[in-house]
Amino acid sequence: MIGTVLANILRFVVLILIQVLVLDHLDVANGFMVPYLYVLFLLMLPIELPAWAQLSIGALTGITMDFFSSTPGMHMSACVLLMFTRIHLLRLLSPREGYEFGTRPTLPTMGFAWYITYAGILIVVHHLWLFIVELHRFDGFFLTFFRALLSAVFTFALCLLAQFLTSSADRERR
Amino acid sequence: MRDLFRFLHRIRSTLMFIGLMLVSLVLLYNGNAHHRAQAISSSNSVVGTIFSWRKEITDYASLKEVNRKLAEENARWRNRHISTYTPVEGLFARIHDSIFQQEYRVVAAKVVNSTWHKPKNFLTLNKGSRAGIRADMGVIGTNGIVGIVRETTPSFASVISVLSPEIKTSVQLRRTGHFGLLYWDTNDPATASVIDIAKHARVAVGDTVETRGGDGTFPSGITVGVVESVEDQPGNNYHSIIVHLTEDMTSTGFVYAVDDLQRMERDSVQKAHAQ
Repeated sequence: MIGTVLANILRFVVLILIQVLVLDHLDVANGFMVPYLYVLFLLMLPIELPAWAQLSIGALTGITMDFFSSTPGMHMSACVLLMFTRIHLLRLLSPREGYEFGTRPTLPTMGFAWYITYAGILIVVHHLWLFIVELHRFDGFFLTFFRALLSAVFTFALCLLAQFLTSSADRERR
Repeated sequence: MRDLFRFLHRIRSTLMFIGLMLVSLVLLYNGNAHHRAQAISSSNSVVGTIFSWRKEITDYASLKEVNRKLAEENARWRNRHISTYTPVEGLFARIHDSIFQQEYRVVAAKVVNSTWHKPKNFLTLNKGSRAGIRADMGVIGTNGIVGIVRETTPSFASVISVLSPEIKTSVQLRRTGHFGLLYWDTNDPATASVIDIAKHARVAVGDTVETRGGDGTFPSGITVGVVESVEDQPGNNYHSIIVHLTEDMTSTGFVYAVDDLQRMERDSVQKAHAQ
């Protein structure tokens, strides 16, 4: 239990730091694509967390990102929306007999088909909201849509990469 | 009544979602006007410290470029210094005069974080109110204007970049003196638009655009950019001018926050005039 909490806190710190120190400065095509890898922290939270905790953690993560990017409310609203979607999506995607206690929503444990549905939907919801809110002007709507989707693909690829890297490290430790 | 409570209990997570969403939307829409919400910015001391760690590391990569810029700037000032001028004839003598009074004071600061590819961009400086930086002060770089201070803490300041549609800087054409407003709507970190210059003004490609001054933010005559294109749409009384910004916003290293020492006096006069 304590181990899970510590692992999640560590993941939070590491992912936020990677996000604000490296990824936010990654200038892919003049900022056309921006990966938001920090959502991986929200994706990897334990399944059995109560709804209120999921929503609060989402809000907290979002506001932390807002501090770094000077955008009050932007990441916060996107993360809260993501967590709300996640609560319902986990219910929809649950196996007939429910999740086993302690199942982690990761690629190695859940399989590729499940994971691409789960992470894909959540990342797209988060990115679409974020990119559309960030752009107050309506003229570039379709371009923004396209940017959000491309960035979502980028984020998803990074999520997969991060999990492959860390899971192989786990195996070596064992 | 019990049914109502049971119902509320059942949808409690949805209610909480709606509550949190409302809070963030309020933050989002009041973010620029409300002072509390403005405090959510990168001038926060934890955030500033983390950004300055990053800067410590990445600085080494750009030392050469920064040195070159500083040397160039030194050379420019040296060219204007009194010692580079030799009297052609012995007609004039320099005396201590009281005609001039210092109007601006600059505080040099380092940019520890900056963005330039977002719809609204910010910079974080490594100096804050302890160094005399206050909100609404103008920030200029080696080659042009950079932005306006929005929020300060004792050791950091967050600056709205000129690459933000919410800043409209009052500028003029150096050659003809026509006034206009610099407005960033090009979505490109190298250019911006100048609006509100009437069609009868003759604007040529290559004209220099400079700050107009007098608003207490920027001194007058700071170079802003060079006119890149001028278009006249029919039915519009104003030119559509695109300027190339002389300050490279993607590589700003050292900047100066400008303190207008006469601002209070001027503001009070203007306020008295308005009443």
